[in-house]
Amino acid sequence: MGATTYQIILEVIHYLFFIYSIAAIGSYLLLAAISAVETVEYKRKNSFVNYKEIMSSNISPSISIIAPAYNESLNIVENVRSLLSNHYVNYDVIIVNDGSKDDSLEKLIDVYDLVPVNYLINEQIPTKPLRKGIYKSTNPAFEKLIIVDKENGGKSDALNMGLNISNSKYVACIDVDCLLLEDSLQKMIKPFLEITDRRVIAAGGVIRISNSCVVKDGKLHDVNFPKKLLEQGQILEYIRAFLLGRMAWSRLNGLLVISGAFGLFDKKIAIRVGGYDTKTVGEDMELVVRMRGHMEELKKKYKVAYIPDPLCWTEAPDNYKIFISQRNRWTRGTIETLRRHRKIGFNPKYKALGMLSYPYWFFFERLAPVIEVVGLFYFGILILFNLVRWDYSFAFITLAYLFTVFFSLIALVTEELTYHQYKKKGTGFRLLRIAFLEPIVTHPFILYAAIRGNIDYYFNKKKKWGEMTRKGMTKG
Amino acid sequence: MSDPKKIVLAEDNSIFLLLLKFRLEKEGYKILTAVDGKEAIELIEEHSPELILTDIMMPFISGLEVISHVRNKLNMQTPIIVFSSAGQEEIVLKAFDLGATDFMSKPLSPNELVIRVKRLLP
Amino acid sequence: MNTNYYLIDYFNESPSIIQVAWSISGVFFVIITPLILYLKFLRGHLRKKERVTAEFENDFESSLINYLYSGNEEEEISSEQKVIINQLKECIKDPFRRKILIAVLLKLKNEVSGEIAEAIQKLYFHTGLVNFALSRLKHKKWYVIAKGIRELKQFHVKEAHDEVIVHINHPRREVRKEMQLYMVNLFYFDGLDFLDVLETQLSEWDQIQLLEVLQRLENQNISNIKSWLNSSNDSVIIFALKLAKIYNQFEAKDELINLLYHINKKIRLEAIHVLSYLNVLEAKDILKNNIEGRSLEEQIAFFKLMEDLYEQTDESFVMKYIHHEIFEIKVSTLKILKVLNRERFNLLKFESSESNFLRIVNFIENN
Repeated sequence: MGATTYQIILEVIHYLFFIYSIAAIGSYLLLAAISAVETVEYKRKNSFVNYKEIMSSNISPSISIIAPAYNESLNIVENVRSLLSNHYVNYDVIIVNDGSKDDSLEKLIDVYDLVPVNYLINEQIPTKPLRKGIYKSTNPAFEKLIIVDKENGGKSDALNMGLNISNSKYVACIDVDCLLLEDSLQKMIKPFLEITDRRVIAAGGVIRISNSCVVKDGKLHDVNFPKKLLEQGQILEYIRAFLLGRMAWSRLNGLLVISGAFGLFDKKIAIRVGGYDTKTVGEDMELVVRMRGHMEELKKKYKVAYIPDPLCWTEAPDNYKIFISQRNRWTRGTIETLRRHRKIGFNPKYKALGMLSYPYWFFFERLAPVIEVVGLFYFGILILFNLVRWDYSFAFITLAYLFTVFFSLIALVTEELTYHQYKKKGTGFRLLRIAFLEPIVTHPFILYAAIRGNIDYYFNKKKKWGEMTRKGMTKG
Repeated sequence: MSDPKKIVLAEDNSIFLLLLKFRLEKEGYKILTAVDGKEAIELIEEHSPELILTDIMMPFISGLEVISHVRNKLNMQTPIIVFSSAGQEEIVLKAFDLGATDFMSKPLSPNELVIRVKRLLP
Repeated sequence: MNTNYYLIDYFNESPSIIQVAWSISGVFFVIITPLILYLKFLRGHLRKKERVTAEFENDFESSLINYLYSGNEEEEISSEQKVIINQLKECIKDPFRRKILIAVLLKLKNEVSGEIAEAIQKLYFHTGLVNFALSRLKHKKWYVIAKGIRELKQFHVKEAHDEVIVHINHPRREVRKEMQLYMVNLFYFDGLDFLDVLETQLSEWDQIQLLEVLQRLENQNISNIKSWLNSSNDSVIIFALKLAKIYNQFEAKDELINLLYHINKKIRLEAIHVLSYLNVLEAKDILKNNIEGRSLEEQIAFFKLMEDLYEQTDESFVMKYIHHEIFEIKVSTLKILKVLNRERFNLLKFESSESNFLRIVNFIENN
């Protein structure tokens, strides 16, 4: 019996791998097709928007930008200036200084003429207490600014403090070091105001990479394509993820993630579900999943919107060490979120959220690196025992590679046809080159980081917590 | 005859800028143009004009900051007329708080602008 | 040659799964090559287009300025102006340049008023640009129609009213919005008549845009909003409530009070806000009598209203709520109590030991 059972098991494993790969490729192609439809539609609709009127309208709804800051002394003054220059009437900027040990607060007080004020906080979400209190500017040019100085509690805790402080209907949660374009708030608020047949609970924006770009006085002056392959690889990855992936998921109303660097939320619902979770490293994804789950449980029609315009620019890791630790964290965030909301997965009660988004994330985001590494191990064992069918291997590796390149090229064409951000001559060649190199330049490291993330999550709990309390937030 | 009076004109709309420049030059003023607040501040520091005309919403540095810079950092009492769009009333109030002399709301009539300029620079 | 045959043989003899894999790879390879070429072409094309656009824009800007400053008192159109018009007429035969010219005209028109604005408008007619926009209204594609209406709105072409109004019930939201904006921009408050027959929802986005347009008008004599407050379309009621607030429609007081009993919570809530803003004292008494039966949001809004409309007789009523579990209600009632009866308010500090409550009391005492 031994030989045949063994063979059958091997056959089954092979076929499972094969089916998984085909399903992955198929789902990517499908998403690309859906995103194409949605992109054309979005571009067309958006050409009719007169943002100027919303911008200057004083009956447009109020928005608070909440930006947690931890030891950001170097750039905080510039960052705040950038946040204050948004073209929207009814908004304020809440900078939550999360127990920084540097002179961030002193710098802010000095530059923006801040004085302590009395402020009655409605503490709807418990947070770490205030440290030096709340400050506002005496200069009317900065009247939108609120600075909160509190004891260190991590990024989620700082965001929750901001939620408590805000008097606005909507909150834009951002990383303080990210650069928002001036029309970002108007564009992000649009779906909330425009969609009448369902409630928009959150909107996510695109994150673009600002490495090598010229930023002066908190404004983006010039977009450049960075030199390092790692940075280029990430740019390509972001373009693919945002222009093809999220665009399609937005069409399907299946978005699970709003990037922590820039997202706009209905404050009431965010508070009702309890705000950000302070016990996870993936707080941005976790909140969206929780809010969606909440709406599904109430059986209310809702939408998580997505704005594909390049509105938020942020610095990406430019060395492998930080890159790997960032991806490691992302992996753990994904695992934690999916685990915590297990009951949503494959549960028809949650409709598309449970039967489509969750399974997709589970199989193609959560499990993909694991399966890939298992495959590599298996391949290694076969080599060891000289059992490799090289013709099979060669055929499939070629196929996988060509597919990746093809998909990247589609993303690049989409970028050129829509936003065309990398205009300079010569960049075209480098974009093409990275499409061919990316599977080698970044992919192995992403894989490695994901595996480390898995290991850290399951076997290294101490590290998980250690990192949480030590870092207020990290870049990226 | 004395030197023509200098006016710094800051406006990010290129054709509107051109239109006002020609119109005011016809009246015999010397016009220094800036397309954003940053350029405006540089021109003001360099030329100490007799009058400043600035749009409120401009890229990089807004008109409000130009006013604030002129009044608080440079301590200059140069008259400043700001252009605002409809619906920016609150910003206009802030501009007056910061020390603006006069305001005109867009769409504005170039003839009317000339009248106001003449009133401030007789 | 030999290798080719070898490869073909190899392919034919391979298991079907490998054949499939190589075939798909072949397909990808065949797509990738033209994709690369296309990408290269596209980038070059876009760069060129941007440069050319900037050039045309510059040209058009200077000819427009020339045109505007070469008029004279005697003729309606001077000979210099005629030359410029003829040049432009040539240019706009090309749709790409036409688009740029329109953009340039608007770029200036949006910023100026008076003679200059009128002159630009005249130029729009003299060059025949208006005819291109009118022909768009009958197009099959929704976005072409919407673009046409928008352009006619931007250049204030009132003559197109009848062709535009037919799109009142267009299935696309964007077309309807352009239609609405056209009406209000060109016919002011009379343009709002479409609200009488509107069946689709007016989104908050639409409402903001319409109100922005209205508030910018010189003539602020609003027509009667009462019928819209009784509309069967909830979004029209919400819009009318906003009008009532902005234009201080005290005359519509009875209709507003009736809306406190509307079936839609959002409308009831908005009605409370508006009545509060208009300081309608009766509203307070009505709400006071049935506040317990109302939703939380309404209760919060009501106490917010009371902050402005309290009377001495409300003291005992207010006292009932100072320990309410809702933060906003606590704050509102304490604020009112502080004004109504300072002594009693001061005593609260000694009556309670709950820290959260004391925090609020202390804050209100000092602010």
